[in-house]
Amino acid sequence: MQCKDVEVVLEQEGLAPLPDEARAHVAGCSYCQGLVADLETIVSLSVQLPAEVEPPARVWVSLRNQLEQEGIIRQPVAVPADDSTAWWHSLGSLFRSRAFATVAVGALIAAAGVLQLLGPNQPPALPPAAANPFSQTAKVLNDQEIDLRNMHLSSTSPVDAALQQNLQQVDEFIADCERHLKADPQDDLAREYLSDAYQQKAELLSAMMDRGRSVN
Amino acid sequence: MGTRLMGRSLTLILITGAVLTCGAAAGATQRTEKHFALKGRPVVAIQNVADGRIEVKSSKNPEVVVVANQNSNKINFDMEQVGDRVDVTANILDASAQPQELATSLQLTVPEETELQLKTENGMIYVEQVRGDMTLESVAGDIHLKEVSGYIIVKTTGSSLVCTQCAGKLDFNSVGGSAQILQPALINVNLRTTTGNILFDGDFIRTGLYSMRSGKGVVEVRFSGNDSFDLSAKTNMGTLDNQAAAFLKPDSHSKWHLPKFTHGFIGTFGAGLAKVELSTFSGTIRILKRD
Repeated sequence: MQCKDVEVVLEQEGLAPLPDEARAHVAGCSYCQGLVADLETIVSLSVQLPAEVEPPARVWVSLRNQLEQEGIIRQPVAVPADDSTAWWHSLGSLFRSRAFATVAVGALIAAAGVLQLLGPNQPPALPPAAANPFSQTAKVLNDQEIDLRNMHLSSTSPVDAALQQNLQQVDEFIADCERHLKADPQDDLAREYLSDAYQQKAELLSAMMDRGRSVN
Repeated sequence: MGTRLMGRSLTLILITGAVLTCGAAAGATQRTEKHFALKGRPVVAIQNVADGRIEVKSSKNPEVVVVANQNSNKINFDMEQVGDRVDVTANILDASAQPQELATSLQLTVPEETELQLKTENGMIYVEQVRGDMTLESVAGDIHLKEVSGYIIVKTTGSSLVCTQCAGKLDFNSVGGSAQILQPALINVNLRTTTGNILFDGDFIRTGLYSMRSGKGVVEVRFSGNDSFDLSAKTNMGTLDNQAAAFLKPDSHSKWHLPKFTHGFIGTFGAGLAKVELSTFSGTIRILKRD
């Protein structure tokens, strides 16, 4: 075995016990003995190194100043109010937290329930919004869904995929309930299903928005 | 000589890279074990954003033991004890990490009487032989409970629940997940799913309340000859498969009626001591007697 053969063995198998042939060669070769000794020193020292050292904040400040002076980076410019993406950011800010979003939609659903209870006392000719007590809820949630679909276009994680799939299932179920309620507007059980489905949709959208925020 | 020295340095660099890379791969699975001594009945809260299994089993020892395994340094576990509360939180350190780098598993050993709050996204939750109230949440990881008791709240997005020999109260809410309740001793059951299926295979405890509802799935109940319950089964657009019609008498209490625009049946089995409500919007309700 030659020196280059020992190097190949070290490359492929590391410092694990060397094959007999390699050991025999190293025993009689000062070059290879030095190589193995250096390698052992490097590996033992590397184990003692900390996994990651966070540089002090002043290093980042200094680095940033230097890059700005050289024109490599610039201070971020405020996004104008009429930016094409601003509309969903501002709408998203309405649902700043998951709890707020869920509570807000819950309140809308509760209001819809009150309208539903008052329903029989209303005059027969109702405006469209009152005829469908969930219309406001549906509008808010559908707007949120459009925002989220834009935010999640690039996400391929299994959790996001599961959320998207379940959102689609809820949407399909809502559509089924609404079709049924068009035919039988007084079906209270169908309304209960629809109310539950909207609540689930609100919670799904809130969860997705939280994930979007934590990833972006 | 100079050329030989340069060659040796290059060789050292190359081999060092190879050796260190091999070492990193070989030591990829990191194991952390922590013991938390307790004075009273503990509360254990886990928040797992990683892709991994959470397993909770019980022992007679007054301590919580947490064993965490992870495949990379791109995730870490914060473990903290405050009195008898133990919090375990997984944090992703590198948002660009690949799914296999976020694979983790948590194994907990807790006292038999422990309150649990477990939240995960994509890993399975398994709890066995624990008594205490528990809240379990998952997006895409299934939940398996065996011989647990207490007030059990399960909330999932797409994942399913299998509850074997559970006792106490159970509240299950899911969008697409199914629920299987096997050999239960549950006194109060409330199961809701939009597209999943529900299977209840076991006894109805006298004075118990059981409500099971699926938007589009199958709601199946298998009861025993010793059961005693009032039954209401209703659907808007679904189908009814009553394989126990011969055993059901007309409702002896006359307190229920089917809502308008629905079809179904109401009846009593035995003395009607428990109350069972089944409903589906467009799925199937199936009732059958075991044996």
